Amino acid sequence: MDRMLYIAMSGAKQNMLAQTANNNNLANVSTPGFRADFASFRSMPVFGNGHPTRAYAMVERPGTDFNPGPLNTTARPLDIAVDGEGFIAVQAGDGNEAYTRAGNLHLTGAGLLLSGSGQPVLGNGGPISLPPASKVDIATDGTISVVPFGQNGGQPQVVDRIKLVNPPLQDIYKANDGLLKLKEGDTLPANANVKVVSGAVEMSNVNIAASLVRMIDLARQFELHVKLMRTADKQADNLGQMMRLS
Amino acid sequence: MSQALWVGKTGLEAQHNRLSVISNNLANASTNGFKRDRILFEDLLYQNIRQAGGQTSQNTELPSGFSLGTGVKTVATQKLHEQGNVLQTQNKYDLAIQGYGFFQVLHPNGEIGYTRNGEFSINGDGEVVNSSGYRLQPNIVIPPDAMTVSIGTDGTVAITTPGDSALTQIGQIQLASFQNPTGLNPIGQNLLMETAASGAPQVGAPGQNGIGTVHQGALEGSNVNVVEELVNMIETQRAYEMNSKAIATMDQMLQYLNNNT
Repeated sequence: MDRMLYIAMSGAKQNMLAQTANNNNLANVSTPGFRADFASFRSMPVFGNGHPTRAYAMVERPGTDFNPGPLNTTARPLDIAVDGEGFIAVQAGDGNEAYTRAGNLHLTGAGLLLSGSGQPVLGNGGPISLPPASKVDIATDGTISVVPFGQNGGQPQVVDRIKLVNPPLQDIYKANDGLLKLKEGDTLPANANVKVVSGAVEMSNVNIAASLVRMIDLARQFELHVKLMRTADKQADNLGQMMRLS
Repeated sequence: MSQALWVGKTGLEAQHNRLSVISNNLANASTNGFKRDRILFEDLLYQNIRQAGGQTSQNTELPSGFSLGTGVKTVATQKLHEQGNVLQTQNKYDLAIQGYGFFQVLHPNGEIGYTRNGEFSINGDGEVVNSSGYRLQPNIVIPPDAMTVSIGTDGTVAITTPGDSALTQIGQIQLASFQNPTGLNPIGQNLLMETAASGAPQVGAPGQNGIGTVHQGALEGSNVNVVEELVNMIETQRAYEMNSKAIATMDQMLQYLNNNT
């Protein structure tokens, strides 16, 4: 049997996986701080006896799009958006440091500051807790000041400072929980140059037009692969007819 | 079957939920004391198809892996406790809170409900009750012979009686505030209930300890911004369309496969 059929099949299969990755970007078009994934194909030549004429396709995620998304102003004091480059440090489920751009923060009843997806936000020394307060302000450098209860018209007090980092983009990757992590598992120092805007949320950076065009592109490529499978089938059929002894 | 279809489905579901929240906000655009909701999304887990750094031969490895996202999920709805517009009504039992805090009313199940809706009135016994007839806490009873009722910004309730021109203080309204008001559980009837996420209430007199002040003859309107909701609605509709397009495309691909093999 000719391997053409299998090559076309692998192309179609990898195409469907790429379509899934593209659909995931579209499904997260309104997830705050979401970073779009890329999917690209690579040819994997197969070496064996004879000439290396076959090359299978393989889809991979070479990276994540780290371009900033649009800012939505909400006027909510606990909504922050990273202005320009940089990330907010949070504590991932395994206790290690992870990074996110989703700045729709909220509080637990005990005063623990959580990110939009529920991880504790890291400050100068571990997760940030706020005292019961009637007013919370987050400054552009991440400094949190509160007016605590029990102080009549009191002065704002500085509680902690959100850890903001700015690693080189090639050093981080998107882990399976959707958080960004360092490739070499170490923690980063806080970077004083990262700025946040309070009262705004950064939205998803999925480029809708590009994703829709890519969807069409992938669908048509898929049809090409199927057509090749069909051709392989026809050729085998023709061969069978030619060789028939009658 | 193809995972791409299911990823598209999570997108449709999320946008559907979002439209429900927007519709609820719009429906309550003129409910006094209503606080608008916001829906929160996050991306679902990623599936590792090929691990980055996997060996391709004895001394070469994959430079990048392939992890496939599995879609989006709705994590929460969040009430945004911004101040709504204050409307002057001149009704003596209408109260608005300027700033932080909630009125406390006694729910029939014995718990305290918290509300920003200040449409109070008095029942047959002279007790101050909300529009559902639930008593304001601490209980304030207006004597039947009261001629005027005045409520100060600090919550003191004072009356004048026939033959006595001086004001007599008969009680003080107390407000409650929370560490995390977003964590309160909305139960309808403009009431919010305490939960573990909201923290315990801190009760105090209006104007004290950072709690807001009370204004008589005024009501706090809904804080729904109709324009913003309409823009959100457009965004939701288009995102819904895109996700359904993604499903349709995947369907066509599979159909083509079925018809041509």
